[in-house]
Amino acid sequence: MNRTRSSAIRGLSLYVLLSAGLITADHYSPVVRQIFQFAAVIGVPVHFLASLPSTVLERMQGKLEPTDQLRRNYAALREHNLILQARLHRFEFLESENIRLRRLLSAVPATAEKVTLAALVAVNPDPKGQAVLINKGSADGVFQGQPVVDAGGIVGQVTRPGMFRSTVSLVTRENQGISVQVARTSLRAVIYGGGRNRPLRVLYLDRNSDIRTGDLLVTSGLAGRYPAGYPVALVTAVERNLSESFMNVAAEPTSYLGSEREVLLLWLSALDQPVASDLLDSEGELVD
Amino acid sequence: MQRRTWVPIATGIVALVFFALPSEEPLRGFLPDWVSLVLIYWTFALPARMMVGMAWSVGLVVDIVSFGLPGAYALSKAVLVYLARVLALRVRTYPLWQQTIVVLGLLGIEALILTLIDFIVSGDLTGLQRWTAVVVGALVWPVVYWILRRARHLARLGH
Repeated sequence: MNRTRSSAIRGLSLYVLLSAGLITADHYSPVVRQIFQFAAVIGVPVHFLASLPSTVLERMQGKLEPTDQLRRNYAALREHNLILQARLHRFEFLESENIRLRRLLSAVPATAEKVTLAALVAVNPDPKGQAVLINKGSADGVFQGQPVVDAGGIVGQVTRPGMFRSTVSLVTRENQGISVQVARTSLRAVIYGGGRNRPLRVLYLDRNSDIRTGDLLVTSGLAGRYPAGYPVALVTAVERNLSESFMNVAAEPTSYLGSEREVLLLWLSALDQPVASDLLDSEGELVD
Repeated sequence: MQRRTWVPIATGIVALVFFALPSEEPLRGFLPDWVSLVLIYWTFALPARMMVGMAWSVGLVVDIVSFGLPGAYALSKAVLVYLARVLALRVRTYPLWQQTIVVLGLLGIEALILTLIDFIVSGDLTGLQRWTAVVVGALVWPVVYWILRRARHLARLGH
């Protein structure tokens, strides 16, 4: 009995060491993660089965929706679509003007903006609720760090692109930052996630900064991660502490954070590269 | 007597799917780790057949499916099954309520391991949900036991 007991402990220690090895290897090298992303293919049938109840329920609800409700939804969508089409014309005009101006300032050519629609897979990839799973992967061109948006604004970025499924880390993920600017004043800042169901925080803003509740924070495009101009959050609280030199700003994300079914994956175009910085002064304004 | 050895594997896969089920906010903290419960049952029922290596592989699959830290669940499931094996012969004779307490202890140890790993890797000690899942898991044990016992009889898997 003693022999089998000690050999059993040795067996366990082997696996403990193996696991510890995996965890440390993952910490220091992205190779382990890549292997796992490749192996995530075996998770696809599991996720498919796990998402079945939700999708079936949704389909049933769709079939049970009364006809006049459907008609009203359709009419509202058509109206909204019409308004968006009109806005799109104006946007395309501004975009071509922007391209012309950029050509004057630098030689960076402009490329068309590309987007891909993705649907949320109804599973919870993260027990802390700070990530969602989408049904597109590297087979569709998804890359590490790719920005994800929905109708409300920035949802987050792709942190683990698998072959067919990718994990998107939400903006609320702790210690994950986005460079933003205040829409009203162009004040630059960085906003960090505070955890699920907690407000986002803007850190390191000087006490005298011009920012107030209700201000919209949009991506500034500075870090090259996210294209500029997408809404991120609305400021909900500004606290100026007399004893501290910085102020505390809390903001609620504008995105639906995965409660809507569809999201858009963005490809950055050359338009999103910030204009050469030697042409801008410290305020971010063009120098004459 | 025909031994249907695919039955334990099938219960494991079902547990995995249940583990991956999406859950809304208030519910999420109250769902137990089904994979752990199923592993514990089969270890109690067939301690000689349940290898720590198998549990480790199952944990690795859970790591892959849950996009978690590679090796975390592998470690926790391996330790879980090892301890369950050690206790199996004794616990099998216990009445159900006593078994529930043992299961609570086992799940608690697993949660402790996972929290420790989390802490070492990211200095992160939040995560009350892991512990509510432990409590719910123990409470759910009698149901799991009953269902899997039926499955075991159907599979004609004696000791």
